[in-house]
Amino acid sequence: MEKCQFCGKPATVHMTQVVNNKTTVVRMCNECAAKHGLFDKEGLPFAMLSNLGEALFFGMKQNLPANGLICSKCGCTPMSFKETGRLGCPNCYKDLKLLIDGIIESSQKGMVHKGKYSRERATATQMNAVNSFTDTSARKHSNKLSMEEKLNELQEMLDAAIKAEQYEEAAKLRDEIKTLKGL
Amino acid sequence: MNDFREKLFQDSKLTKETIPVVVSSRIRLARNLADFKFVKYACKGDLHAVAERCEKILSSCPLLMNGMTLNICDLLDYEKLALVERHLCSQEFIIETNESKLFFTDDHLTSIMINEEDHLRMQVFRYDLNFRTMFDKINAIDDHVSENLNIAFDNRYGFLTACPTNVGTGMRASVMLHLPALVITKQISNLILAVQKLGFVVRGLFGEGSDAQGNFFQISNQQTLGLAEVDILSRLTQIIKSIVDYELNAREIVKKEKIIWLYDNIGRALGILRGCYCLTSIDAINCISLMLLATDLGYLPNILRGDLNQMMMKIQSSHIQVLENRILNSTERDIKRAELLREFFATVPNLKFD
Ligand SMILES: [Zn+2]
Ligand SMILES: [Zn+2]
Repeated sequence: MEKCQFCGKPATVHMTQVVNNKTTVVRMCNECAAKHGLFDKEGLPFAMLSNLGEALFFGMKQNLPANGLICSKCGCTPMSFKETGRLGCPNCYKDLKLLIDGIIESSQKGMVHKGKYSRERATATQMNAVNSFTDTSARKHSNKLSMEEKLNELQEMLDAAIKAEQYEEAAKLRDEIKTLKGL
Repeated sequence: MNDFREKLFQDSKLTKETIPVVVSSRIRLARNLADFKFVKYACKGDLHAVAERCEKILSSCPLLMNGMTLNICDLLDYEKLALVERHLCSQEFIIETNESKLFFTDDHLTSIMINEEDHLRMQVFRYDLNFRTMFDKINAIDDHVSENLNIAFDNRYGFLTACPTNVGTGMRASVMLHLPALVITKQISNLILAVQKLGFVVRGLFGEGSDAQGNFFQISNQQTLGLAEVDILSRLTQIIKSIVDYELNAREIVKKEKIIWLYDNIGRALGILRGCYCLTSIDAINCISLMLLATDLGYLPNILRGDLNQMMMKIQSSHIQVLENRILNSTERDIKRAELLREFFATVPNLKFD
């Protein structure tokens, strides 16, 4: 008899979910199933709820330096993130950039914001964007970014990096763009 | 508190506008105030200040005039859970309730969680699928919020959230689908695999072995950064439209190849709902799932669909306790649930099979 992964009682409900091509089964008793909901909750993959931080760490491609990363505003570190799955404050996105970028690279579609208030959308009103609902979908459907899109994306990151006076990062990105253009 | 119970229990007229297969849809935006730590790291004083600022700004939003704000810590456990059953807030929201406030409109279609894991989680809800209207609505509320509060935003990362899985748009869109025929014809697992390959998350509830419990599946976007809101929503809409087509096709196949099985299961389910005296919520959901299918197939009048959606909420454990105004053990709940169902299904006309 399988056990409920939340409380250890015999599991009666088996919930299958698929995330990044991996199928996982969540086993629950009736009570926990009722508690955790047949209905609408967060869009987060269910299995991740128990330890989101660990799951996100697991997905990362590169290792982080063993020490030195800490948010100067809230004291959040990669270790505390691993435990809680949550960052401490908006400044974490600056001070824990290495951690954030690793997580984003493995879990998000791109590295740069393209939605509301992003520079590429600044001229078009959101209303117009909504009206073009169907036109954009086909173009965006391909999973792989085209070379041009990739270049644009890098260029955006470069701009952002220079703006934030992260010259070292900017140099790295510049090299990447050179390589891509040379292909 | 009577006010709360009344508001919680009023039937949404909008459930009348339901359509087959799509049970409900939702868009949620996550936002944080730039000058405060995220909720998990903030002290009580900070959370109090965040709540005060947010509440003040929300109360001045013309789009949020008719509604109420609840202090979550003032509520009983089953009252909190009833809010989750009503889709007004998340399960996580009601666990740590210090300085957590929930605003929701009288029609229950807009709700805002203050101090969930992000300072603000604003959502719109519908009983059909129309992301364009929904996005316009939530975006207008967000405009008001970002004009009046210093929201944490970064040119590269977009809206900053407590978890990097929400960063960027901060938007999660999800659709609850009712897919009995895809389950019956065993196409569901292939479909789930296909959908997730497109970057979307599918969650479903299964019983042991191959018997499906509920046949309800939620599909939502996994990624929030690197795509514009409209692109996420249009892709999700396209995916949902094709799943609806698959389900409708599968229903035709079931009607052709398993008609006796179908009549038998639907007929028995209605029998249970009319005659039960003690019914668990999972058994009830399974039976109601078959009544939804019967409605879609024309065996029951179309107008029933909205009522069935309402019933599905009313028979959930915490709703029953709010209705009775006391804590009930699980047997007491099963008995009360059966009573509600018996009463309702006594008024439902007999099945008209083709
Ligand atoms: Zn359990
Ligand atoms: Zn921080």
